[in-house]
Amino acid sequence: MKLTHFFRHVVTISISLLLLTSCRPNQKQIRLAVNSGVEGDALKQAALDYEKQTGIHVNIAGFPYANLFEKEQLDFNAHTGAYDVIMLDDPWFPRFASKQFLTDLTPLLQKRGQTQPDSDFVTTSLALCRHPYQTGNLFALPYVGNSQLFFYRKDLFDKHGLSEPVKWNDVLSGAREIQEAEAGDGNQIYGYVMRAAQGNAAVADFMPIFWAFGGEMFDSNGKATVNSREGIAALKFMLELGKFSPPGYASFNADDVGAHLLQGTAAMSINWPAWIGPFADPARSKVIGKMAFTILPSGDKPGQAEIGNWLLAIPKDSKNVDAAMDFLLWATSAEQMKLSAQRGNPPTRTSVFKDPDLIARYPTYPAQLRSLESSRPRPRTPQWNEIENAFGIFLSKANSGELTAEDAMNQANAEIEKILQRQ
Amino acid sequence: MIAPALAVLLSLSIYPLIYSVQISLQTDSPAGPVWGLGNFERLLMDHFFWDAMAHTLIYAVAALLVEFFLGFGLALLLNSSIRGRRFFRATLLIPMMLPTVVVGVVWRLMFNPNFGTINGVLRQLGVNTEQLTWTASPRLALAAVIAVDVWQWTPFVFLVLLAGLQAIPQEPYEAARVDGSSSWQTFRHVTLPLLKPAILIVLLLRTMDLLRVFDQIFILTEGGPGFATETVSLYIYRAAFRFTDFGYAAAMSFVLLIITNLISTVYIRLLQSRESVA
Repeated sequence: MKLTHFFRHVVTISISLLLLTSCRPNQKQIRLAVNSGVEGDALKQAALDYEKQTGIHVNIAGFPYANLFEKEQLDFNAHTGAYDVIMLDDPWFPRFASKQFLTDLTPLLQKRGQTQPDSDFVTTSLALCRHPYQTGNLFALPYVGNSQLFFYRKDLFDKHGLSEPVKWNDVLSGAREIQEAEAGDGNQIYGYVMRAAQGNAAVADFMPIFWAFGGEMFDSNGKATVNSREGIAALKFMLELGKFSPPGYASFNADDVGAHLLQGTAAMSINWPAWIGPFADPARSKVIGKMAFTILPSGDKPGQAEIGNWLLAIPKDSKNVDAAMDFLLWATSAEQMKLSAQRGNPPTRTSVFKDPDLIARYPTYPAQLRSLESSRPRPRTPQWNEIENAFGIFLSKANSGELTAEDAMNQANAEIEKILQRQ
Repeated sequence: MIAPALAVLLSLSIYPLIYSVQISLQTDSPAGPVWGLGNFERLLMDHFFWDAMAHTLIYAVAALLVEFFLGFGLALLLNSSIRGRRFFRATLLIPMMLPTVVVGVVWRLMFNPNFGTINGVLRQLGVNTEQLTWTASPRLALAAVIAVDVWQWTPFVFLVLLAGLQAIPQEPYEAARVDGSSSWQTFRHVTLPLLKPAILIVLLLRTMDLLRVFDQIFILTEGGPGFATETVSLYIYRAAFRFTDFGYAAAMSFVLLIITNLISTVYIRLLQSRESVA
């Protein structure tokens, strides 16, 4: 009897607390949906500062990467208007913008006396926020400026008299040379480590090679062209490089690649800036001070990294569009972005990349800025998730030895065409 | 008293079921949803779906056979009075009690071709492990995920069949002994018929579970390499939550449901036919 009594109290108290918190009298508030990870954490801390400065209550919902997309999509479909500002990964943007889920920001800028966002934003980052790409209306602002970098072991390159790889052919010959020479000394070091697990992983590691070889996913009429001569040559090159990658790389994801690099068992890789920090951590890294980071190698075409920015946008169903816009402009200002950079996020503003304090702390910023400025987005189509999935399956099949490069690309092309026609 | 239960059932089960029928019959178009069998037509032509279905069936049949014979053998062994059977009975149940996600992560580490225990041990024994990339090999991946299922769920088959064996009264055995039947004859004509309900129930439960397998494969391979271990459940998940194509996902779920139902009906018929004889 006593126990039920106790529970009744607990229930009464928690309900009254719930009522109290939900009925904050007339206080202005905005609601955010963010990624729970380093990117979202920086925004959470910024939101606390914002609350102190303005008195506007910022309510934050954090979700893991995959769930964030679902939550936002469900909110749009049901028109609940649950969020005033959302964080989104740039490949989601074409889908959200083309379905008119997002608020056009230009009128809101004009209301504040601006005709367009200031020119300090890196061009490639800002281009992601327009629909259609680069030319259309503005539906978001860039918050975190990730783009791929080329990682390599400076110490091994010096030891074997190699210079920084500029061309993909240098990468292949360097991988062979390092792996064979080190094996001669009794060390097992793989020349190159990549991830070819189906889906996002294989595609992200392949795109820079594909582009450098002159491959294009679509022609000017929007037809799939991954099985072009250039595309097949690029995949053949990837398979060559795979011979110097650890066994089983056809199922590798980011953590497997990270493990090989941190353990010092691989000499080169394509990776994202978030992996730079751990190399300096004595608890995890056996290669402290041995890594170097540069822009992606070139082929027939200049090297280009895949861009992967986090954007901030205002859902169309938001009931606090103006308050949301104030927050959005504040959070992407140079001053706030510097704080965000100190919290671990690469910026999207040139001035912040060039900030001397930040360069002293993050010596790779100049390389990151060069990579970002020359980076390229994943194709801007609302069906990217499906296309990437299908493409990744065939890339992984080729890398696991199930299909030849030609067969993989022909089948991928047919599958992508099928997805496009379903539109 | 029935009203609240009915309300819960209606809101949590009946309504979603009707809703999923509805969305499976709708496809998206620029002008809004269109009613029709579009999702089912697409499914017939989707070789990803049929590949996934083939993997699911291979997975289910292979795992079921191995789990059944292993589990049955263990149950017979530990039903007899061998030494240490209490200890074996207890330890055998451990895999089943572990969360599947934990099992998946542990096996993923063990299967790692470079750092994993399995290849480590094989190398110590002098085996060349270069080709043995397990979950990264299109030839071995499906067998590897089946092995993990066998490891985790054989104990369940064992447990149910052992309980069934213990429930058989002694009298028929005594009668068989008096009649001078051999141990094979006793097994064939006494144990097996009396154990039939337990066998059918365990086969039914395992089949239903195997046909909707998701979690350990998701952790172990996420369907890869390529498409080698993609099952229908994984493909449904992808369609729904990665491509937000809930209609297509619902249509595929119904096809899986129908197949599961057909197989279950066969089992249940067999079960009932036995009961009517007895």
